[in-house]
Amino acid sequence: MASIINSISFKNFFNYYGDYDDTRYEFEEGVNIVVADNGAGKSKFFNAFLWLFYDQVLDSDDKQKKSVKDFAVKIISDKAKKETSIGEQVQTGIKIEYSTGLFKYQIVKSFTATRISEKITDFDSWQITIDDIEIDKTDHVLPKYKPVYDADEKQKIISKLILPTLRQYSFFQGEEVDKMIDFNKKSSIEDAVRTLTNISKYEEIADIVKEIAEKAEKDLNKQTKSTSEHNDRLEQAIGLKKVLQDKFSQESEKLGEFNNLYESAEQEKNDLERNFANAEKRKELDDKISNKRKILNQVKEDYDSFLDGINNRFFDGNFSWISLGFEGSVNEFKNKIKDYRQKRYEKQALLNAAENPNDYFTLLPVNSPDAVTLDQMIEGEHCYVCDRPAEEGSEAHNYLLKLKNRPNEDSSRREFVKNDLEDFFGNLQLNSAPFLNKFESIPTSVLRTREKELELKKRLDKLSSEMKALVSQRKDILIAGTDSERKDTASDIINQYKGAIRRMEQASSRIERLQDSIKGLKSKILTTEKEITNLRPKDIPKGFTINYEISKDLVEASLNAQERVFDKMVSLLENHANEHFQNLIKYNDIKGGVLRFDKSPSGGISLDYIDELGNEVSGASEGFQRMKKFAVVMSIISANTSQYNYPLLADAPLSAFGKAFNKGFFEAIPNVFPQSLILVKDLYDKDSEDKLTDLGQQLIKNDYIKTFYINEVDEELPQIERTTKIERRK
Amino acid sequence: MNSQEFKSNLVTKRPRYANSRIPLLEALANKGSRSSEYSQFGPIYELYIYAMMIGIKKKNRLPLPPRNITSDFLEIGKWKRDSSLVDFLLMVIFTQTDDINFDWNELEDMEEEQLNKVISEVVTIIEEYANGGLEYLENLYEKGELENSHYMFIDLYNN
Repeated sequence: MASIINSISFKNFFNYYGDYDDTRYEFEEGVNIVVADNGAGKSKFFNAFLWLFYDQVLDSDDKQKKSVKDFAVKIISDKAKKETSIGEQVQTGIKIEYSTGLFKYQIVKSFTATRISEKITDFDSWQITIDDIEIDKTDHVLPKYKPVYDADEKQKIISKLILPTLRQYSFFQGEEVDKMIDFNKKSSIEDAVRTLTNISKYEEIADIVKEIAEKAEKDLNKQTKSTSEHNDRLEQAIGLKKVLQDKFSQESEKLGEFNNLYESAEQEKNDLERNFANAEKRKELDDKISNKRKILNQVKEDYDSFLDGINNRFFDGNFSWISLGFEGSVNEFKNKIKDYRQKRYEKQALLNAAENPNDYFTLLPVNSPDAVTLDQMIEGEHCYVCDRPAEEGSEAHNYLLKLKNRPNEDSSRREFVKNDLEDFFGNLQLNSAPFLNKFESIPTSVLRTREKELELKKRLDKLSSEMKALVSQRKDILIAGTDSERKDTASDIINQYKGAIRRMEQASSRIERLQDSIKGLKSKILTTEKEITNLRPKDIPKGFTINYEISKDLVEASLNAQERVFDKMVSLLENHANEHFQNLIKYNDIKGGVLRFDKSPSGGISLDYIDELGNEVSGASEGFQRMKKFAVVMSIISANTSQYNYPLLADAPLSAFGKAFNKGFFEAIPNVFPQSLILVKDLYDKDSEDKLTDLGQQLIKNDYIKTFYINEVDEELPQIERTTKIERRK
Repeated sequence: MNSQEFKSNLVTKRPRYANSRIPLLEALANKGSRSSEYSQFGPIYELYIYAMMIGIKKKNRLPLPPRNITSDFLEIGKWKRDSSLVDFLLMVIFTQTDDINFDWNELEDMEEEQLNKVISEVVTIIEEYANGGLEYLENLYEKGELENSHYMFIDLYNN
């Protein structure tokens, strides 16, 4: 009879706050669903079984499994921790009830924590004692629990819930399915077949009859030797056969070794290919990250220097904020310099007039009339100012010449002040021009500066968040990658890859030669055997010959039987896998291909995914890939003649693969698993009235769904107050 | 003394500040170092100019303590080189009619000694307004009323 989980309850276990009675799920044979949004206790539920089987829990922060003892402080419900005063104790535990055909068991694993200091989340603030495992047992006739004391029996009872060898098919979290059946590893399916079938029995039989046959041959040879007429010739032939056979087994052994070498090289190549894909992805992301980082740093630098430069705008002539509010000074200066010049001019004029009154009073101001006009007047011998002729040599003409030469006389002008500061003041005005015409634009310029800053800040924020997304993507690849620990560079991988291929090629050529040599040896052995039969005397007791021949036939028969059983299992697996696969993808619009199992040359089983025409299907979506694997797992279980006796415990087996896959999955699993406990997020809909998606509402009505729970967590509350509420819908 | 000599005599002067302002100067002007919690000017002269202009705006002219408890710094001509900023500042100073108790034209007839005294006076005006501005900033600083923003100086300037 199958193991059926009857209930699980928690005590202060992560967000499952409260005693065992407060947080209890009851389950039945058939499909049981627990729906929970992210953070609402799915993985914690799964952790309870990790604790039960392995004394570990999964740390959701780094996706590493940690021992319960080391991780205990994080396992205790925060609310329970808070409510425990210093010096007091709090207990955390899980309780699981399950039954087999004869008995019902109740298992409790727990630990007690004593608070010793203030900070409740510190590991040092708590003293942890792991409590003894309590297991009680009852039969179905007299439902009275009796404790189990024997440690071995306790372990056996835990193991019996799901046998350790089968847990990989029965107890997993979403992504683990992908690793469960490794299509790149030849022996993966073969191992599964071995785990689940009696094929090894046939191998044992084959070995036994082979031994019998060898003995029969020896016996026969003994007989022939003692009676043979041409003893020497026969002995020589028998000797030759032995030599040939020794050689044969040596070569076969070598072939085995090279086959192994080949396989491990191929395995490495396949692993590297996968890793290579990851490495490529990583490289791609690394490049993206490094580019983005460059841009980010540039923008950050720009932003910082922009901020640093804001105050520079006071002194930069392009902005000249320093002049803000000094319009008055500028006008004042204009007036002052005007007055100053006027006074200077008057002073100079007075001085000139005093020294040379006539010149002063008749002298036109400099540049009036202008030089061109003067030239014309001189050349035309006519004054345009008074419209009178001025012939060359006349006083009027001389006066025009004098006017023309006036600037030259001026350049040698006499100093009329002690300190000539005109240039000083004039240059102040001239030079400060950049600071004089910005008054009106300064407020706008300040505003622009703020806008520019916001713009830069926005750009910076956007880049930062893009960067963050890339980095977390990179982290995901690391976690999903096969070689997360190793910091392998792409070139290392390429070299390893080349090495693996080289070794494959070397092994392959050796294998070919060995196969030829073995073939040759085989035929030599066969002809030698014939010769031995011919050389044998005709008068040996018949029994020996018959015994030898029958045992030889038996060897052949048992080998054939083993092969047939294997072939049959393979074709059975294929049929089952396809049946499950079609069920699983039933609701999907895209037509899936067909799974084909083939015996590979090295004796393993390979799985191909082909379309109706026999072409390999590639590039199927992740959902199909996952379903393929499920189908194979299910076929391994269902192809086994006896019923599968263990529940399926799966956390998020199909996360984000879509409605159609989910529907097919829930419908198909009862075909294989007597009981399944499935934790899903996909059926949760926060916005719907009953918190369920359409599919959730549909499923709950189906008969094959036996129980249906929804977990709810009040997200408004701080983590320290949060508790998981369990609501049974069916 | 011609224009060039006059200007040269003026801009080779190193204005001074009271030693008591040093902490404030370090807080608000510190080239290269980003340790302050406030927005900062680069070189000291930037803060000094800013303080002087604030002093002028607020009409806050404050005499410096005796020379031996003051410090000098960069000579005026080296403030913001390759820029006409100093010309603009001098322009502003020479329009402070209330402070400048001489007529520009009078300068032209002064003896050298007298003119040098005028130059000293101009420097004193610069120093005293800067001191007034620094006093104003210091008050805000001490009271914690300086706004921690990149726009702190322009906002103050705008008020």
